[in-house]
Amino acid sequence: MALLEVNGLMKSYQPGNPILKDVSFSVEAGEFVAVIGPSGAGKSTMLRCLNRMVDIGEGQVFFDGKDVGAQNKKGLRDVRKHIGMVFQHYNLVPRLTVIENVLHGRFGYKSTLQGVLGRFTEAEKRKAFDLLEKLGIAEHAYKRCDQLSGGQQQRVGICRALIQDPKIILCDEPIASLDPNSSKVIMDHLKTISIDFGITCIVNLHQVDVAKDYANRIIGLKKGEVVFDGPSPLLTERFTDEIYGMKTVVETRELITV
Amino acid sequence: MQQITQQPSVIRHTRAGKINIRSGNRVSLVLRSTLWALGALTVLAFFFFDYTGFRPLQAIPETLYNLKAMFLEPKLSHFGWGEAAMQVAITLGLGALATVFGAVFAFFLALGAAENLSVPWLSKSIRVVVAFVRAVPTVLWVLIFAIAAGLGSEAAVLGMLFHSVAYLVKAFSEAFEEVDPKILEALRSTGAGWWQTVVHGVVPSTFTYLLSWTFLRFEINFSVAVAMGAAAGAGGIGFELFMASGFYFDLREVGMITYMILAIAIVLEIFSTRLKSRVYSAD
Ligand SMILES: Nc1ncnc2c1ncn2[C@@H]1O[C@H](COP(=O)(O)OP(=O)(O)O)[C@@H](O)[C@H]1O
Ligand SMILES: [Mg+2]
Repeated sequence: MALLEVNGLMKSYQPGNPILKDVSFSVEAGEFVAVIGPSGAGKSTMLRCLNRMVDIGEGQVFFDGKDVGAQNKKGLRDVRKHIGMVFQHYNLVPRLTVIENVLHGRFGYKSTLQGVLGRFTEAEKRKAFDLLEKLGIAEHAYKRCDQLSGGQQQRVGICRALIQDPKIILCDEPIASLDPNSSKVIMDHLKTISIDFGITCIVNLHQVDVAKDYANRIIGLKKGEVVFDGPSPLLTERFTDEIYGMKTVVETRELITV
Repeated sequence: MQQITQQPSVIRHTRAGKINIRSGNRVSLVLRSTLWALGALTVLAFFFFDYTGFRPLQAIPETLYNLKAMFLEPKLSHFGWGEAAMQVAITLGLGALATVFGAVFAFFLALGAAENLSVPWLSKSIRVVVAFVRAVPTVLWVLIFAIAAGLGSEAAVLGMLFHSVAYLVKAFSEAFEEVDPKILEALRSTGAGWWQTVVHGVVPSTFTYLLSWTFLRFEINFSVAVAMGAAAGAGGIGFELFMASGFYFDLREVGMITYMILAIAIVLEIFSTRLKSRVYSAD
């Protein structure tokens, strides 16, 4: 069974207004998948269904053999602790230090009391510094997060995801708030992570060129439907035009699944 | 420019037919008429006072004389400085006791009352109860507790505590609700539980607000404790004030005690400003 399997996923926030319509795909361990689509296509919603940050409507999501939709509270925490998440706005606690924010990634492994008291093992702390080192921001470890630039904060966000020992990392527009240089740094790091650590990455992007440069596989989402799913090189202009609704509309919609 | 061919139907007009740019037309109308009504009532009230025995020519110099005795010639006559310091300490102690316990209770209740951290039924019930407790003045709570505890410092602290909790629950829960949902989302996505999210996400983000609200409440509780000393026999400097004014008719002592209370209030104010600037400059 694939690491992640999505079968007939539907989701609506208001009845009669489906945001996702019958989305199905599966992702093997180690893949680097980009999800592209215009704003409002449902990319963020789809990503959040994978770790049930929003409730799944209909259909199933299987992660690592577990039915995500069927988990109770405890089970859901167990699922989430193996899924890292990286956000457009980094979502750090601005008043805490970098190292504290990174260690937040360990809460899934802690009992309530250990977590509340902030009891982290020396190994966990060392791991946190290793990760900061790897992403080139170890010298900022004791700074408050709101003193860091956007690119640096995003690297903290990535460290927080990595310290979870995740099997998969979900990234929701990780570079949408960054300048081109920082964007490249972040995307390079994500690529390195997927190759060096063998961690699967699913990255929501709205830049087609970035998706094609970094991802092995691209999923094109339009109005809640998968309109392209295949290796990056096969995403031709014809499909991007259709996904983004530009130029001539392609008459017969072709769904490539390779 | 693109030509507008059709007026969108969403535009609202005032009664005069002009385009309205405010959303709450009715609210502002109610507000304005309320203010007018209150103003009119205030002016009218002066015509209904009972002016018999009111001789302004005599009253003005007498009042001035009393004020002079009170504020220009203050002195203690029924107790010494050591005793005064003791009584001030008692009043501060009453205020601090009610504030500290109030803040602790309020913290937990506010977690239940904050919509982003709680479930709707719990948050609604806490809000309703707390709004009721807040609507009843502190003095009344003190008198209510006096039924069980007898008039004195116990009833005063309980009553102040009750009102402080209700006040701080509202302040704290509003601070909690201001926490950036993105922070909570990130913590939840790592598999963190509710308590972990609260302690490591909500508390660090709101700590300075909690602190300044608590201190503000302490300032309030200090003045309430003064009043309770007089009204509920809770002791402290308020009781001495009550004795000086209502029992000995010693205006000079009243003046001295007023200055002492003022001094404490100023010290508290300076302290709270310092605290705030230190906490916020760390931001
Ligand atoms: N919490 C929510 N409640 C109601 N509607 C939502 C919510 N989140 C997203 N939506 C709606 O779902 C649609 C898809 O949003 P989103 O998943 O954020 O798309 P994308 O990330 O591709 O821009 C949008 O129309 C948005 O308004
Ligand atoms: Mg989005």
